[in-house]
Amino acid sequence: MLLKVERILDRFSDVIGWISAVLMLVMLVNVFYDAILRYFFRTGSIAMQELEWHIFSIVFLFGISYALKEEGHVRVDVLYDGFSPKVKAIVNIAGTVFFLIPLAYLIISGSIWFVHESYSMGEISGDPGGLTHTYLIKAVIPLSFIFLIISALGFVVRNIRIYRGLEPFPQQKIEDNIL
Amino acid sequence: APKYRWKLAQTWGTGFPIFGDAVIKMADLVKEMSNGEMEIRIDSANKHKAAFGVLDMVKAGQYEMGHSASYYWKGKDMNTMFFTTMPFGMIAPEQYAWFYYGGGMELMKEVYDRHGVYSYPGGNTSNQMGGWFQKEINSLSDLQGLKMRVPGFAGEVLSKLGVVVTNIPPGELYTALDRGTIDALEWVGPSLDLNMGFHKIAPYYYTGWHEPATELQFLVNQKKFDALPKHLQKILEVAMEFSAYDMYARSYNDSAVNIDKLGTEYPNVKVKTFPKDVIAAMKVENEKLLQASAAKDPMFKKIYDAQTAYMKKARRWTEISDYAYLKDNLE
Amino acid sequence: MIGLIMFAVCLGLLLLGFPVAFTFGGAAVVFGLIAEGQGMFAMMPHRIWSVMNNTILMAIPLFIFMGIILQKSKLAERLLESMGFLFGEMRGGVAISTILVGALLAASTGVVGASVVAMGVISLPVMLKYNYDKKLATGAICAAGTLGQIIPPSIILIILGDVFQVPVGDLFMAAFWPGVSLVLFYVIYIAILTYFKKDLAPPIHLDGKEYGTKKQQVIRALKAIIPPLTLIVLVLGSILFGVATPTESSAVGGVGAVILAGMYRQLSIKMVWNSALETVKITAMVFAILVGATAFSMVFTYTGGDYLVEDFMMGLPAGKWGFLILSMLVIMVLGFFIDFVEISYIIVPILAPIAANLGINPIWYAILVAMNLQTSFLTPPFGFSLFYLKGVSPSEVKTTDIYKGVVPFIIIQVFVLAILIVFPEFFGISSIY
Ligand code: NA
Ligand code: NA
Repeated sequence: MLLKVERILDRFSDVIGWISAVLMLVMLVNVFYDAILRYFFRTGSIAMQELEWHIFSIVFLFGISYALKEEGHVRVDVLYDGFSPKVKAIVNIAGTVFFLIPLAYLIISGSIWFVHESYSMGEISGDPGGLTHTYLIKAVIPLSFIFLIISALGFVVRNIRIYRGLEPFPQQKIEDNIL
Repeated sequence: APKYRWKLAQTWGTGFPIFGDAVIKMADLVKEMSNGEMEIRIDSANKHKAAFGVLDMVKAGQYEMGHSASYYWKGKDMNTMFFTTMPFGMIAPEQYAWFYYGGGMELMKEVYDRHGVYSYPGGNTSNQMGGWFQKEINSLSDLQGLKMRVPGFAGEVLSKLGVVVTNIPPGELYTALDRGTIDALEWVGPSLDLNMGFHKIAPYYYTGWHEPATELQFLVNQKKFDALPKHLQKILEVAMEFSAYDMYARSYNDSAVNIDKLGTEYPNVKVKTFPKDVIAAMKVENEKLLQASAAKDPMFKKIYDAQTAYMKKARRWTEISDYAYLKDNLE
Repeated sequence: MIGLIMFAVCLGLLLLGFPVAFTFGGAAVVFGLIAEGQGMFAMMPHRIWSVMNNTILMAIPLFIFMGIILQKSKLAERLLESMGFLFGEMRGGVAISTILVGALLAASTGVVGASVVAMGVISLPVMLKYNYDKKLATGAICAAGTLGQIIPPSIILIILGDVFQVPVGDLFMAAFWPGVSLVLFYVIYIAILTYFKKDLAPPIHLDGKEYGTKKQQVIRALKAIIPPLTLIVLVLGSILFGVATPTESSAVGGVGAVILAGMYRQLSIKMVWNSALETVKITAMVFAILVGATAFSMVFTYTGGDYLVEDFMMGLPAGKWGFLILSMLVIMVLGFFIDFVEISYIIVPILAPIAANLGINPIWYAILVAMNLQTSFLTPPFGFSLFYLKGVSPSEVKTTDIYKGVVPFIIIQVFVLAILIVFPEFFGISSIY
């Protein structure tokens, strides 16, 4: 049962990661294109330039969920390395319940007014030919932290299974890909 | 101990000259005039990190007060842009006359009531410069494909004339102008531009057209203001009004000092004025853009018409008084 | 007072090993709720928004992507191996190459997260492969990656230009020689260290099996160096020739790396896709720390921490030398705990007028502060470079390796700072107005 929940939640984090990865490539092309257009063709649009940081924001905000699932967030391992899997699992569960989820919750609840204000004012960019519907990109803030809570649930479930000895402790996954 | 402890969020960083000094002056005046009954703590952008979230934060009551510029809220509410300055609009004395005696304050109140915010003039920079250019602008064709960092409404006007309006973060402006990534940029005026060092890399300094009288803005959360006792309300208003006038004098002085310094230390920098046909074309595009917005929004039209009508009257007096005097003196 | 307690508690909590980003954020939540209540956190969207709006930070994912492509296509490995080989008998060649490549990258970005992570991705695997000492390897990478702050363009210098009210361009020019000296001293240090301690950095034998003549080997090495070096020079050139802003130059690097990988037949959709995923993960790691840290500094300043520090600074003694030495010491100590932006805006505005009164050249003083703040990226326990590098290291590299590894480089920085204080003329800077 727990395994099934964990898999569904992990799958969710993966999808978020994939979206971010696609957007990351789009952003690369976007920034490159804008520079080339300006230099070689002496033209360009503010909307395209604003799109750069809109995409960039989604990449790093959504990415936080994915990185949690992938063990990508850096830890100070001075003591942690010496802990048994059980103790590590407790650190992770407690940290998620008392730190991560409350932080995400406070950011989400704090964002509601912020996004709604932008929506009700019909906020647009103040620069010529800039992007409209500013509330959409502002809404990415609470949305990404909702995603983070969902990923965090998967993280907790995994650590419960580790605590019960049902699953080995995952290594930091960076090395699989980089080395 | 003070009975009223307020917090003010400013768009500027700690120690930002002139703008920041006006806020400090206001807060000091409030404290002294109220005999310590009211104190205002100033939080800079590097503390609250929301340079352009000042309206939001005052509206939401996170801060009782703010100091910023009304045209920064143009994306949220187009009508706020009238209360800073307008391209080809009034100069500072005319605009102050409009605010306090020509119906400007009433219109500003009408716009800001909807935000639950009391907006007050926050200090004038005096006429701003048209920007730093790498190339001389001799005709309209020189604007075609000109890469320029110029935000807001002025950017809109220039983009109609073929300027490639470019967003560059302030931190990269110097490198971008130096390396020719952009050909020109607009900043403030001599009072602040010299700190950025643009005079060392760009030979042409053009006079202004787009911000003849940039007025900053004090914002007060209306509910918090209403909750103040009458005498503190008055003290606050007097302090805001005084420090705003005072900033105008200060800006004038600093600009004068710096333009003099520029002339003696960097004689190669040429102060230029745009050719007549360029100015005329800017005027046409400016008018078109304003008319288009006025057609869409009755409030926009109302303010626009009021400003235009007042400017006509005030300009007549400016011509007879200052303009005639200067013309005779300069020739 | 709450701010200081929060620091101490956060330090303890970090040791438990929960991710750094959420430990910062969690400490902020606990202390923020105690001190001010939930209302304060309605400021968080504004703070996150300011990170989103800060387009200079776009260089982080783009440079990371460039680094990963160079790494996965083995181009980075060949570059560093060949450079290492060309240093010949001198050991530590890869570490020296890391410093030099880091210096080039530093000239194209002013964002520490970007250069440290890119250098970590590019050169850590190579040094580990050649059995370099982990401490030397990580120390060199952190030092090389942090050079971006003193070698222009640099965010610290831009902020200090604002705080000191001096032209950014003047600061950029003044920072050039101090930056170059740092590079030089790093190289000298590594050369001497590895000369005496041979096992720290084994020499590189390039294609040892094919016995070409020495000359053929050198030519092969040069051939391997040219392409990736061209790419980095192209990135720099795009700024110098006005094609791109420093931020955009990172996209030039990213696209260029993909093209280069294609030219070497290393390109596949799978490789680009994996690199993008990897980039997302590492970028998110960096920005999660920024988000956690901004919550932390919010609670610190809003509970009066900024005034606490300010009061302390007001008590500094007068007199040029006393002021110089003490203010540098204080900034350094604060740098162990507080973010450089906080220091620049809270502490430096207090020091600047005092320095002006003493007739100290603001440009010189700003460079001193910048050198000093650069060190704060490297100082344990809160140095961000250390976290970033740890984030891209395999688990065999311990936090303590990195902590120990940076110590000699911190000492070198302090040494150069001392020369800069005593002999500013060496660097073409005047100490007085
Ligand atoms: Na740099
Ligand atoms: Na530090």
